[in-house]
Amino acid sequence: MPKRVAVITTLYKYLSHAQHMGDRFLVGYPHEGEWHKPDVQIVSLYTDQKPAGDPASGGDQSYVRAKEFGFTVYNTIAEALRCGTGKLAVDAVMIIGEHGDYPKNEKGQVLYPRYEFFKQCVEVFEKDGRAVPVYNDKHLSYSFEKAKWMVDQSKRLKFPMLAGSSLPVTWRLPDLELPLNCEIEDALMVGVGGSDPMDYHALEAMQCMIERRKGGETGIRRVQLIQGDAVWQSNRYSKQLLTAALSRSDSPQGKTLLDGRTQDLVGNNELPKLVKNPAAYFIEHNDGLKTTLLMLDGAVHDYCFAAKVKGMPGYPSTQFFLSPVPNVTYSACLVSKIEEMFVTGKAPYPVERTLIVSGALEACLTSKLQGGKVLETPELKVKYRAPKESQHART
Amino acid sequence: MTPPFQLRRRDLLFGASALALAAPPARPKIAAICTVYFKYSHSQHIVDRFLEGYGWNGTHHHPEMDLVSIYVDQIGKTDFSKDRAARFPQMKMYPSIAEALTTGGSKLAVDGVLLIGEHGDYPKTEKGQVKYPRYEFFNEITKVYTASNRVAPIFNDKHLSWNWAWAQEMYDTAQKMKIPFMSGSSLPVTWRTPSIEMPLNSKIEEAVCVGYGGVDSYDFHALETLQCMVERRKGGETGVKWLQAYRGDQFWQAMKEGLWSRDLMNAALCRSHTLKPARPGFNNIFPSDDDLKKLVRNPVAYHYQHTDGLKSTMILFSGLVEDFNFAARLTGQKKPFSTQMYLPMPPARTSLANFFSPLSNSAEKMFLSGKPTYPLERTLLTTGLTAAGVDSLFAGQKRLDTPHLARIQYQATKESTFWRT
Repeated sequence: MPKRVAVITTLYKYLSHAQHMGDRFLVGYPHEGEWHKPDVQIVSLYTDQKPAGDPASGGDQSYVRAKEFGFTVYNTIAEALRCGTGKLAVDAVMIIGEHGDYPKNEKGQVLYPRYEFFKQCVEVFEKDGRAVPVYNDKHLSYSFEKAKWMVDQSKRLKFPMLAGSSLPVTWRLPDLELPLNCEIEDALMVGVGGSDPMDYHALEAMQCMIERRKGGETGIRRVQLIQGDAVWQSNRYSKQLLTAALSRSDSPQGKTLLDGRTQDLVGNNELPKLVKNPAAYFIEHNDGLKTTLLMLDGAVHDYCFAAKVKGMPGYPSTQFFLSPVPNVTYSACLVSKIEEMFVTGKAPYPVERTLIVSGALEACLTSKLQGGKVLETPELKVKYRAPKESQHART
Repeated sequence: MTPPFQLRRRDLLFGASALALAAPPARPKIAAICTVYFKYSHSQHIVDRFLEGYGWNGTHHHPEMDLVSIYVDQIGKTDFSKDRAARFPQMKMYPSIAEALTTGGSKLAVDGVLLIGEHGDYPKTEKGQVKYPRYEFFNEITKVYTASNRVAPIFNDKHLSWNWAWAQEMYDTAQKMKIPFMSGSSLPVTWRTPSIEMPLNSKIEEAVCVGYGGVDSYDFHALETLQCMVERRKGGETGVKWLQAYRGDQFWQAMKEGLWSRDLMNAALCRSHTLKPARPGFNNIFPSDDDLKKLVRNPVAYHYQHTDGLKSTMILFSGLVEDFNFAARLTGQKKPFSTQMYLPMPPARTSLANFFSPLSNSAEKMFLSGKPTYPLERTLLTTGLTAAGVDSLFAGQKRLDTPHLARIQYQATKESTFWRT
């Protein structure tokens, strides 16, 4: 019997996360050189917002998908989980609270109702006396307190939980995995795009690399977010690591756009000209590791990582490959992990990764709001171990 | 006073005989011989990497050599070679190939040559092949070698010549004169998703590449994609006995009849990152046969048999995919062996065509070591296959015997030469 899944989402329209992830359970997806048809059946859908328009080009797709693939759209989350019966009637839940028209808070975070959706699922689990695996797309919540509550519920009710971005599981160029228990001396990530969606992806990409260090993840003790010229003047991050990360980029801007030339963006001092609003996210872990995320919108278009690792020559570095639209095959990499949890009942990697990143992001944005203040973060004492096996696309 | 460079009759008479190849100096001098130099032309991609450096192994790498001279055959309004010569004064522009190689003196003055005969305004043959002057450039280069009684390694971008007899002659000349010579596409050396190599001495039963683009252009890239994998099979490359090209209705008929294995074609398609969705509103959906016919207006296949019996098929599916994907059946393995040769292709996806980084790096290695990084025979064979594909299409999709390709035998390098670090 295929696993029965409820999809709980903010929005189901072309190229929304719900569409490209939900559809993969309906029409299959490319996986390890095959068109994989998951042994999973979407049986119910809750969609919070249903934009008007042609379903093929931006209008709501809930009903056209339901009709074609034989599932039901419900008006509430509880009904979707119970499939219109009196009891929980699904084997797994996929929460996709991304896209849609929601307000922002003073930190610039979009208030996607992931916590609220999750909470309603937990209420059904409690009332019906049974809990099933839950995947939560992207970070858990804009608020660490809420995110922590979500993870605590999965422990309390003992249901498997997976969350996060597709960056940790996509292809890497090159196919770099840091050795388990390596000693990381320094790590740096370059990201682009707006806050808070894209800085979150970049932080989680860095986290999936550094969590493999000796002793595992130990939590975060302080953070700071600085912006503007202070980023260029800072000596808190290594220029060699920045050079290494940028050496993995396929998309330098500026003079490359003019005449196609390659560029050493650190060496040629072009970065300050290209990046109007640079931001540096400084994160200090409880074991002393200091990491940096540089958001360099305008310099490049891709997400690249570099580290200094004891015993490894040079600067191990890679690009997290965001494959082209519309296929966005990186989301197939993520869906295969979600399917794995739905089928086996085990999360392939710890939800604590996403929990700590949710917290780090919120704290950094608080620091930004407070003018770049250094913030102590005793609440981010999230400890966990990375999975032994690599989880990114490599086969 | 040094007389200006002049080719003497005696040099021509002594022609193609083995000349001295000095051990490469610690810091070689390189000449670039190009058809054009505009944004995103192959010359710009390759020569810029020698001038500006490029991202490699986690640093901005500067080749340990000096690009000292350049010849550009067509300098138009969009040219950047003058800009480069102004910004990199160590690189001088010369009005002839001989002068670029002698840097204006009387003898060969460089230790390596980049021959980049791609892009530019050149006539076409009646079969539609662009007559890029790679053979003519090569001859100009070897004339200088002969006159100087010294040779230097040559990297030739893409296939050897559109004309098979000329390609063979280039190969023979390089052999006779003992010129370290390498050639080819960036497909064999770029990233792969997944990053896998055909195990050396694999027993390959059948191989397929699904790519895109036109005849006498991207077909060559797809053939190189196939060849860099199948050459690693047990016994090495044995040559190709015959080839038949298919297009249009005959392609669909051949596909229906199972001329090539459908599961291999499908496996290759499942490695694509650019599978055009056949249905509006879906972002990634596998095409039905009807979808294929709707999306692909002009499918092309080159189906050919190697001397040891292996059958390979190159498919161009323009309209369906925009990447190059490989699949093969290996004896004893249930699932096809498959991967994509990934091209970060500007301007839509990236700003840099970074697949030229491993290609430039391979040339660089030869300039430093004096030894080709991978065998020239690969590209001799794919040059011949490209021409045979064009000929077969021109002859009404007839099967053509290829005795001239049946004798191209070689072994792959033990070490992988694709980009993985």
